[in-house]
Amino acid sequence: MIRAAFATALTVAPSWALAQTSGWGSVGQPKEESFSWTQPLFGGFWMAWTPATLAFFAFIFAAIATMGLLEWRAPGAAPRHGVLGLDTTRGDRLFITLLGSAFIFLGWLALIGTPLWGPLALAVVWGAFVFWKV
Amino acid sequence: MKTENQKAWFLVLPVIALVAFNALVPLMTVVNYSVQETFGNNIFLWSGVRWFEEILASERFHAALTRQLIFTATILAIEIPLGVAIALAMPRKGPWVPVCLVLMALPLLIPWNVVGSMWNIFALPDIGLLGKGINALGIDYNYTQQPVAAWFTVILMDVWHWTSLVVLLAYAGLISIPDAYYQAARIDGARPWAVFRHIQLPKMKKVLTIAVLLRFMDSFMIYTEPSVLTGGGPGNSTTFLSIDLVKIALGQFDLGPAAAMSLIYFLITLLVSWVFYTLMTKDEAE
Repeated sequence: MIRAAFATALTVAPSWALAQTSGWGSVGQPKEESFSWTQPLFGGFWMAWTPATLAFFAFIFAAIATMGLLEWRAPGAAPRHGVLGLDTTRGDRLFITLLGSAFIFLGWLALIGTPLWGPLALAVVWGAFVFWKV
Repeated sequence: MKTENQKAWFLVLPVIALVAFNALVPLMTVVNYSVQETFGNNIFLWSGVRWFEEILASERFHAALTRQLIFTATILAIEIPLGVAIALAMPRKGPWVPVCLVLMALPLLIPWNVVGSMWNIFALPDIGLLGKGINALGIDYNYTQQPVAAWFTVILMDVWHWTSLVVLLAYAGLISIPDAYYQAARIDGARPWAVFRHIQLPKMKKVLTIAVLLRFMDSFMIYTEPSVLTGGGPGNSTTFLSIDLVKIALGQFDLGPAAAMSLIYFLITLLVSWVFYTLMTKDEAE
């Protein structure tokens, strides 16, 4: 009898503990913070940054900076005549890549919808094409 | 010996700082808003690309965009040829030059909201000179109730306000043509049309490029004048993109959808301006 009660207590006790942590026991306890790309950054700041949008702009500025560095290390970005019949420099090609990518994403959203892996791949291909041929 | 350096770039730093604050920071904020939902109080919730999907699928956006494109195409089709024609008719020398220039510049000096108010009263069917005049001719005209009349008034107002800009730019292009060209044309016995087609028009190409670009961007973003004149009405008939945008952003305080809409709007303006500029300057590069 005593042994049975002891066994029951051993089985049930962990679930009490579980209830303590996951049920009402967690009320008022600080929640564990983990990194999220979509959580607000710099809480309460009016520009409403999130890590995702910050990364987006970091990418664009890094791309512009890369163009500058390339120009500094290897000058000679004289305009070249590409397949579209345009004379473009590196900066022009970056602009065409970014503008085209924006419309690839918008077009995909309008015609197909989420998820956006398809247009991402298309945009990368578009960028490669522009830097290679245009 | 090295005689060139890149120090002149430091001179543009103030401009870069200015652009950063009046263009870049607001643009980045709009991008941030476009992927979030807010109920005010600086609290933002992530919503991903939902607003973009909604705007791209929305009938209301399609209608406003269509109206905007029709409006811009119409005023460009009127203002550019009219501006060039007036510039051609203006005197090149003599005492009338300053008179014409000042008269031309007058509409450009009037603030946009004043232009809207002026035309609002001018076109009223019961007390306005234009409105009463048209009705006296036996035409039923009331821009507060008839969409066609409202469109007519908005376009007339824009033509009145902005053709001067095209005139002044085209005139600047015209007076920069040396007399030798005209003398050569006279020796060849060229007719006026040939002079226009082969001398004046090519020489005005650069200023006309700028004129079209300026008029395209300005008319594509037009807000104040139609807002004061018709308020986007009657119904939604003159609700252009920016008027709709303000209704969403400030009227309904839907900052997320409004931000997504402004980005789409911005991208369209950027694309059209780039395509146009590239096409117009392509021949020069070759």
